[in-house]
Amino acid sequence: MGFVVLINPPAAEGTGIVCYETPEPSVNRYIRRWPLILTTLVWLSCVGCIPQHPEGNVVDDLGRTVTIDQTPQRIISLAPSNTEILFALGLGDKVVGVTEYCNYPEAATAKPKVGGFSTVDIEKVVSLEPDLVLATRIHGKTVIPALEEVGLTVCALAPDSIDGVLNGIALVGTITGQHKQASQLVDSLRTRVEEVASKTRNLAPDQRPTVLYLTWHNPLMTAGTGTLADDLIDKAGGQNIAYDISGDKAIDLETVVHRDPQVIIASVGMGTGEDLPWQYAKTEPRLENTQALVNRRVYMIDGDIVHRPGPRITDALDLMAQFIHPEIF
Amino acid sequence: MALEVLEDRTVPRTTTVYPLRWRSRAHAIVGLVLILGITVVVTSAIGSTDIPLSTLCQVLLAKLPFVEVTPTWASSVETIVLDIRLPRLFLAGLVGASLAVAGATYQGLFRNPLADPYLIGVAQGAALGAVIGFLLPASWQAASIPLLAFAGALLAVAVVYSIARVGKTLPMTTLILAGVALGAFLAAITSYLMIASGDKLHGIISWLLGTFSLTSWWQVTMVAPYVFVGTVVIWLHARPLNVMQLDEEQAQQLGINVEQMKLILLGAATLITAVAVCFCGIIGFVGIIIPHAVRLIWGPDHRFLLPLSTFAGAIFLILADTAARTVLAPTEIPVGVITAFLGAPFFLYLLRQKKRAIF
Repeated sequence: MGFVVLINPPAAEGTGIVCYETPEPSVNRYIRRWPLILTTLVWLSCVGCIPQHPEGNVVDDLGRTVTIDQTPQRIISLAPSNTEILFALGLGDKVVGVTEYCNYPEAATAKPKVGGFSTVDIEKVVSLEPDLVLATRIHGKTVIPALEEVGLTVCALAPDSIDGVLNGIALVGTITGQHKQASQLVDSLRTRVEEVASKTRNLAPDQRPTVLYLTWHNPLMTAGTGTLADDLIDKAGGQNIAYDISGDKAIDLETVVHRDPQVIIASVGMGTGEDLPWQYAKTEPRLENTQALVNRRVYMIDGDIVHRPGPRITDALDLMAQFIHPEIF
Repeated sequence: MALEVLEDRTVPRTTTVYPLRWRSRAHAIVGLVLILGITVVVTSAIGSTDIPLSTLCQVLLAKLPFVEVTPTWASSVETIVLDIRLPRLFLAGLVGASLAVAGATYQGLFRNPLADPYLIGVAQGAALGAVIGFLLPASWQAASIPLLAFAGALLAVAVVYSIARVGKTLPMTTLILAGVALGAFLAAITSYLMIASGDKLHGIISWLLGTFSLTSWWQVTMVAPYVFVGTVVIWLHARPLNVMQLDEEQAQQLGINVEQMKLILLGAATLITAVAVCFCGIIGFVGIIIPHAVRLIWGPDHRFLLPLSTFAGAIFLILADTAARTVLAPTEIPVGVITAFLGAPFFLYLLRQKKRAIF
């Protein structure tokens, strides 16, 4: 909104404060600077006033500047986590398209599908005439440029930590005009995170059990640094044994046996309600002598709540904390 | 009588019997077997976990009968060496041997330097079977993936064979063409299933590139008998295979039952390839590179080419798998990536060194 106003020359001349002692050329110079100063001022006020008026520029998680002209009324979510955030902010009615994997909340499953996670049907997206598309990092290279090409407004969320998730929820609240709901939600989530973190923050290293987080069993897949699961393990008071792996990667069985995890948490139900990684961890004879199996500390957790950077991340944190520190939580 | 003529030296030796350079090649076979043994011991000492060679030797010695060694090592060391590294090494060796000897056989049968064990649909059939296995309900997966891969491989070749057969003969060109066409068809189905597989895609890709992670002893004991029998059958047919290099017609006239020979050799090579890929996935490049490398170094006589390829393939794949599990430790890369990455430059180097026709 403000931009048009401040680049307007009459507005700059009309202010005229600088004229009182300087000769003409200087006046011109100052007048020439006015737009700049005004721009800054109005931009600052603009940032301040976004909560009330969603129109304006925001920077999304991929560093892109997104211009929102008016409060979005038709929103498409390209990720289950985005869908969960939108519904949690009471925007369920405005969601006009989701992915095949959006299974939470129940109401989301009834929405039109625009494809899989990375395989987005651009034509379908366009036909639904959205005024906002919420994407993720996976869409950065191909899908987002394609959607922008056809003139759609795309905002990407790509958090890799709990704080990032909370910021993402706040960002969605900002651009959809649901600032109040968003800040309430973020505050309550932050309180729950703090409840757990305050009890684990001062644990000495030897009080932090080593944890293997298993996302798949053949090949063995784990979540290394820079993943949500890693942050959850850390906040829940554990030490991830995949500390020298970054991202979601395969881990050597040998390494697992050698590092001898005290707790194994297997992600289950990845889309299909299966508990294979958990079954595997419990029955693999070569893991028999690890502390986790000897002490029967092999747990399962719903992969959806761990891997989706959405509002249920605190549920995952509570569960992880109970698994890793049953004596505290 | 022919021998007497030979003794007469009226005919140059080399034109009558095969060129006999027994000694150096026999030495080569013994040498490769020794190197294979050394490779197994040395690579079992290498891994993401540091285990000193002395500890390793003690762990291995303790397993031998009549040897008393007091364990001074953690039980995890024993698990790592005996139950994680060794089965992996053995399976890699068996698979490398099968793929290399099958590749040499196919190249000989088809008289085509581009032939490899996957030429007539084994890989595509196995891949389709495995991908279907991945899509089945979870509780069946562990058993169904290798089983379906094995069945898919054999079924694909059987279909190709029955399409290509004309009466009682099996024209090789038709066989290749049928194999390539059916392979493309199966690959299309596989690709579609992969796109539709959603979150199982990572497991599938990792299988398709080939990996030995999580190999255990039961897999080795399942694979070993097939590989052993198949390889011996192929070795025993080295002479007819040599004769068939002339031409099928000439081989026939020289008293070789060409059609029967083709069936036996195709059957044996296909069987060991199918059994090789069913647990660890489609490992590329071994089957085409190793026979060629052996041929470049020791010549094209199948009596030596086949056993030498067998051992060289085993050594190569063991080394490649060691690289796959250590280069980026503690994470792993599919061994298929390594075989192509290391194998191709090595082969090009050999090609450049020798600079002579391979076939």
